[in-house]
Formats: sequence, structure tokens, C-alpha cells
Amino acid sequence: MPAVVRTYLDRFVVLVVVIALWQACSVVFGTIWFSSPWLVLTRLIEELRSGELFFNAIYTLKAAFYGALLGGIPAMLLPFFLRRRPVAGAILDPYLAAGYGVPKLALAPLFILWFGIDLEPKVALVISIVFFLVFFSTMSGVNAVNAQYVNVMRVCGAKERDIARHVVWPGAIPYAFAGFRIAAPYAIGAAVVGELISSNRGLGFMINSGATDFDTTLVFVALVTLTILVVAINLLVARAERWLLRWRPPQQGLSSRVTGA
Amino acid sequence: MTAAPPILEVKGLTKRFPARTGETQSPLILADLSFRVAEQEFLTMVGPSGAGKSTLLNIIAQVDGASDGEIYFRGELIEATNATALNPGWNCQIGYVMQDDNLLPWRTLIDNVTLPLKLQGRYDDAAAARVETLLRATNLTGFERYYPHELSGGMRKRASLIRTLAYDPPIILMDEPFGAVDAQTRGQLQQDLLRLWNHGRKTIIFVTHDIGEAIALGDRVLVLSRSPAKVIAEHRVEIARPRDLGNLYKLDGFGDMFEAVRQQIQ
Repeated sequence: MPAVVRTYLDRFVVLVVVIALWQACSVVFGTIWFSSPWLVLTRLIEELRSGELFFNAIYTLKAAFYGALLGGIPAMLLPFFLRRRPVAGAILDPYLAAGYGVPKLALAPLFILWFGIDLEPKVALVISIVFFLVFFSTMSGVNAVNAQYVNVMRVCGAKERDIARHVVWPGAIPYAFAGFRIAAPYAIGAAVVGELISSNRGLGFMINSGATDFDTTLVFVALVTLTILVVAINLLVARAERWLLRWRPPQQGLSSRVTGA
Repeated sequence: MTAAPPILEVKGLTKRFPARTGETQSPLILADLSFRVAEQEFLTMVGPSGAGKSTLLNIIAQVDGASDGEIYFRGELIEATNATALNPGWNCQIGYVMQDDNLLPWRTLIDNVTLPLKLQGRYDDAAAARVETLLRATNLTGFERYYPHELSGGMRKRASLIRTLAYDPPIILMDEPFGAVDAQTRGQLQQDLLRLWNHGRKTIIFVTHDIGEAIALGDRVLVLSRSPAKVIAEHRVEIARPRDLGNLYKLDGFGDMFEAVRQQIQ
């Protein structure tokens, strides 16, 4: 049996074991606490049919996506600005480090105060998380630029703009991607936390209303959906990365297909 | 060839590295180094490892500043001692092939080779044809769309060589460009270089620590001392061109010159 097939088979076995354990828990402790795989599956289909799940998932994805764009793009550009202005970089450095250190989820109540209870506070929360992760990752890529490449390019006529475009930018892209890969699950998580605190839609809202109604099945439906979304997003990012970075030598060893790491 | 006006003249070049904290003496890398290179001359410089050969080429290529001294390019003084006013490559007049191939890993072979021409706004049909010829001359045809990591060490070296040849700077500096390849590939690369040079006849300053290579390739060999580097001897290589590098060692005079240089380097 080829090793790949074997791996997939073993993965399937793990899935069966996890579902069996879940089933065992719901039998032992009762479906009121653990729901059950079957209940969740039927409810999932029901919620999908009614459009309720789709509506809420889109809302959460929207917050995560807007936040990732609005936080991630400036975070990718700022290192290029700072590369040419070391003084500004030195001044901002402790503040960026402090910003990175602030527990972002603790900012959620503040964002709700400022931006109300619609999409904006969730987007703000996602921005605050994605920005720092992508910024520090990209910055280390910009700092890791090969000085020899820069020298060679200068000698053959490259201006500062050409260096940024042809040497620093392509070199920093893998680092930016690493930042986005780490940030993606956090972005979804931040959107959900925002909804948990105050919202009338989204997967976080589904979890919250399920929990308050003792509707454990609904909670699990939302959790399963979130898990599937995060895995799917990771796969997409890894796919995009593999295509954009096809110039890289193949990585040694088995790399995770999910995280791409 | 001595009658030809020098394309490059180096006068009293001195380089000190900044002193480490706690030490008063700053190490001297180049000490009052002077030499001339004639138009179309293939000058090789041989010296022990760590003698400051790379530093010398970095200064001529203007990616590093000197502490003192002057450099003239076709009679024109090149700024050398003011590090902030350096003009790397002197307006694309001085090409530089470094020890590492330094191909950009995210660009295919052809995109690497043509990048200097594009940056200089000179990538026209004539330039494309020229690149085509160079690719063929170095057996790289068919590999244009490959990324550097997919190419062998020798192929990358050749690509890095023709990246500089393609934009045709009048003078090319080479810093042990064939250092990190196996002996057989190295012999092939040397032969390729000589063939390309015979086509275009540009000025080359080729630095190496390999005495045989210095004699085999050069019109003239300068011997550099241990650090701080200065020119301690000069040998004119009278071997006729085109040279058959494989049989060079059998020629009269090669062994004597090799031995003389070896003694001087000690």
C-alpha cells in the first residue's frame, strides 16, 4: 500500500475514533451536555437548508475578511516604508512591540463602545490582531534581505525603487505569507469573540444563543462550521502560497497540508 | 598592450576597517595599493585567502568605500573615499561577478539574465538577440524558464556570468567566480569564460587564490601580499591565445611561473 494512501486511511481511523469518543460522551453524560454526532449532523443540514447557517457564517467571514485586508495590507506596506526611514522605525519600534503585546480580545468591549454592535467593532478587533502578526512577520522578511542581492542589483543599475520591487518585496513575501497563515485562524477567532460579546448574528451569536437556550446541538453546529471554515481558509492560503512561491526549492520533509508549515 | 591607455588606474588605495571597541589599532586591509589595467586586458590577481581581494573589488565596484586613495576610470576620478557618495557600478560601466552567483531565486534564468538590461531601459531586440547568443554559447539554451534552484551549480555560475556580459559593461570585475564548483565544472567554466572573452574582448579584473587559474586565464598576473594587501610582483603571461586550458600545464614556462608565484605568496 502506498504511504500516501496509508496516511489517509490512518487519518480516517482517527476521525472515526474521535466521533466514537464523542458518541460515548453523549451516551454517558447525556445529549444535553454533549449533543451527539448524529444530532449535530442532522441539525447542520437543517440549518443549512433554512439558510440560517449560511447567513451567520457569511457574517463572521465578512468580519474576518475585511479585518484581514484592512489590517494585513498596511501591515505588509509599513515595513517597506520603515526600511528607508530607520529613524522612524527606531521611534516606532517600542510602540509596535507594545501594540503587539496588548491582549487584543480585551479591547473588544472598547470597540463595541466606539463602533456599536454591527460589523465595525468585529472588523476593528480582527484588524488589531492581524495587523501586528503580519507586520512583524513581514518586517523580519524585509530585514532578512540578502545584502549581496542588493549590491549586485545596484552595480547593474538598479535604483532604490527597483531594489524594493525586485529584491526586497519578493524576498519578504514568504514572511508575509507566514504572518497571514498564523493570522487566519486568529482573524476568525476574533470575529467570533466580537459576536459572542455583542451581536445579533454570526457564528459567535449562534454559539451564544445556543448556550443560553441549553441548545448544545446548535453550539456544536457552529463549532463544527468554524472548524471547517478555518481548515478551508488555511488550505486556500497554503495553495495560494505554493503557487506564488513556486520559485522556492521544495521544502524538506513532510509538510502539513493544512498549515503549509 | 602596455601602449594602450589604462581603462582603470588605482592609486595608493588604502582601507582600514573600523576599530573594535576597546582596541586602538584599526586593522589595515589594503595598504597603498596601486595598479593599472589596460583596455581589453585580462588581468588576474592572485593572493592568499583573506588578503583583502574581495574588499579591493568591492571598492572598485563602489559597493564599499576606501579610507584613502584614488581610482580613475578612463582618466576620470571616481569617488572612492566618501562612502555616502558611492555610485555602485559607476553608471553601469563596471560590472561585478561575485563569488556567489547571487541569482534572484524568484526569477527564472532568463528573467535574471535580462534584469540588468531592463533596469537600464536597454532591453530591445538587439539586446534580446545578444542574450540569446550568450545563452547558446554557455549551453543554457532550453533552461531559460527554470528557477535557479532547479539548475546545477555550474549552470548558475554561467548564468551569473552572462547576466553581467549581457549588458556589456566595458570593465568586469570577477571575484573567484568559480570558487565553489567541482574541478571538472571549473575547467569548463574557465574555458567558457575565455571563449566569451575572445568574442567581446572586454577588460577583466579576475581575482583568485588559485595560482594555476590566474596564470591560465590572464594576460598579466599581479601577486598580492598577505593582509594588508599590496602588489608585490607582476608577471606577464606570454602564452598565445586561444589557449587550450587542458594542456597548459605542459607548456614551457608555466611551471616556472607557477613556482615563482607560489614562492612570492608565501
